[in-house]
Amino acid sequence: MIGFIIRRLIYLVIVLVIITLVAYVIFFAGNSDNLAARFAGRDADPQEIRDAAIRLGLNHGFWYQYWHYLDGLLHGSFGLDFQAAIPINTEIARALPVTVSLVLGAAVLWLLIGIPIGIMSATHPRTLRDRTGTIFALTFLSMPTFVLGLLMLLVFYYYLTQAGFAWFPAAGFVPFTTSPAQWADHLILPWFTLALVQAAVYTRLVRGSLLDVLGEDYIRTARAKGLRRRTVIYKHGVRAALTPIVTQLGIDVGVLLAGAFVTERVFGLPGLGQLALNGIENGDLPVVAAVVVLAATFIVVMNTVVDILYAVLDPRVRLS
Amino acid sequence: MSLFRADAGVEVIEEANDHEIVGEEGTPDQADIVGRTPWALAWIRLRHDRVAMISLGFIVFLVLVAIFAPLLTALIGHGPNAQYPNTGLSLSGIPVAPGHNGFLLGTDDQGRDVLSRIIYGTRVSLVVGVGATLVALVIGMVVGLVAGYYGGWSDTILARFMDILLSFPILLFALAIIARFGPSLELVVIVIAMFSWPYIGRLVRGQVISLREREFVEAARALGSSDLRIMFVEILPNLLALAVIYATLLIPVNIVLEATLSFLGLGVQPPTASWGNMIAEAQNGDLFTVAWWFLVFPCLALVLTTLAFNLLGDGLRDALDPRHGRSQMTPKSKATRRADAKGRADAKATAEAKASAAMVEAEA
Repeated sequence: MIGFIIRRLIYLVIVLVIITLVAYVIFFAGNSDNLAARFAGRDADPQEIRDAAIRLGLNHGFWYQYWHYLDGLLHGSFGLDFQAAIPINTEIARALPVTVSLVLGAAVLWLLIGIPIGIMSATHPRTLRDRTGTIFALTFLSMPTFVLGLLMLLVFYYYLTQAGFAWFPAAGFVPFTTSPAQWADHLILPWFTLALVQAAVYTRLVRGSLLDVLGEDYIRTARAKGLRRRTVIYKHGVRAALTPIVTQLGIDVGVLLAGAFVTERVFGLPGLGQLALNGIENGDLPVVAAVVVLAATFIVVMNTVVDILYAVLDPRVRLS
Repeated sequence: MSLFRADAGVEVIEEANDHEIVGEEGTPDQADIVGRTPWALAWIRLRHDRVAMISLGFIVFLVLVAIFAPLLTALIGHGPNAQYPNTGLSLSGIPVAPGHNGFLLGTDDQGRDVLSRIIYGTRVSLVVGVGATLVALVIGMVVGLVAGYYGGWSDTILARFMDILLSFPILLFALAIIARFGPSLELVVIVIAMFSWPYIGRLVRGQVISLREREFVEAARALGSSDLRIMFVEILPNLLALAVIYATLLIPVNIVLEATLSFLGLGVQPPTASWGNMIAEAQNGDLFTVAWWFLVFPCLALVLTTLAFNLLGDGLRDALDPRHGRSQMTPKSKATRRADAKGRADAKATAEAKASAAMVEAEA
């Protein structure tokens, strides 16, 4: 177990080095002058551009800059952004609660929606209920997040407000500490947008997994010895069927914590995704690199957690 | 060689007896026994799947629309980028609603015909979706074949490489690359292909690892076939069914990815119409609140197209791989997860997989 975690940590470090290096190559290779000119301000003369390059550290060679960045990372600092020379750590500290609120809230919702529908489908295979569940899943599986988000805005923000029910705000974020009610109100539409798309995946996953489990011999044994159908389904069936769902949840949360770009963009939530998108649009490399590092870390860490969890939940799986 | 797997010949004899109706008992009539290739059998099975056939029909329709886009817009009488300030916008500059002034689906904020733009957007979606998937398929199959067949060091390196590529935050990197080098259709295709081939690669690798132990490979080796010949002539045909299924399921993912990039402003650039950038224009300044058609119709085109490919992919899976039980891929990406979730969910296939567990065993 400890060996496994150590190996994963080494793997994480390798992945981070590769990913940051690729990010640096994408932005820097032959681009330092452009970046300096960009941040020197409008109509900058050559001297001002040179000054900007020195200020941003762009006058050094590629490897020096990259090493400097890694060095900062080792000391827990993402550096300053190019645009306003604000510590990126501060910006991330501001953006992270938004993304965490969005993703965790949505995760609760998609489990509450996806698992019951999946169970319903699996316990009544090839009936009207099953088919309804399938149609639900396929509809939302085929719906890109921004399509669903904008349609939500059109119906639940615009048409409702038109009709005199100004229930949902169009955009923005209110911290939980400021006002829990406002916080939830601003997040309801984003939560549902993210949750419905994800719930579709979970519906299918639960249905497939539970169908597999319900076909097992021990389920028949449990029924044969006289246990009630409901007891068998929920105590014996669902419990075993949830293992893949737990692992899937870990992966999804990891990926989404790195920034639910589209949902954040549609609903104007100032989370990590927005931070990264702005960084990309401004050519603000340190910001992008910081989010890239966070994203890859989340993904690899959650994958590791999932692997460990899997071994704990299913003793047949050994970590090797 | 067009066998999916070495034992497909058995299936030919069994199912040819069934008077084309798969899985139904028919009186074996000697005259009716025809040797059919597995592909022909799959087509017969697919033909009985109404949902898949409707989806296929819709996709054929989309392809025709994309090919004949200039002809169609000429018939409508509105070019995709032409602005109609007099007929296409009201006096106060508001887009015209569907069905007015000869604009079947209305106009956008610049007085352009939404229908004509959706028709041209079909081209972009299909070119990027299908193009990127084909590139990913070729790279993924070659890398998967090499890694799976040779094993050892080359496998370790290639498999690790694919794993690392899969832990990249894809959208973020795609956006960064496009932002750096400037958006263009070619770059969008390349970037999408670059990040989607590992899914195919991993899947193919897993298959090849089990296939290379099979008797027909041993036989080929005993006959003195070269590695290249074994990989591409003996093993490759056995992967085609799988490749077709996963390519069909990857196409909608890539179409959505292109639309997302365009929506975020880093895909296909205006004035060239793509469904994604049409939706972005509708969102700009909340225009869709005054002109819902400007948002809803491109969304509809996108959703229907994605749905059609997903449904066809499901149908193809049933038709090409009826013994399919569960996918070989570990569900880690959205694409694979979707495919996986759907695959596992198929009760019929699961039952069949159980029935022929012995046969499937070698594939696990």
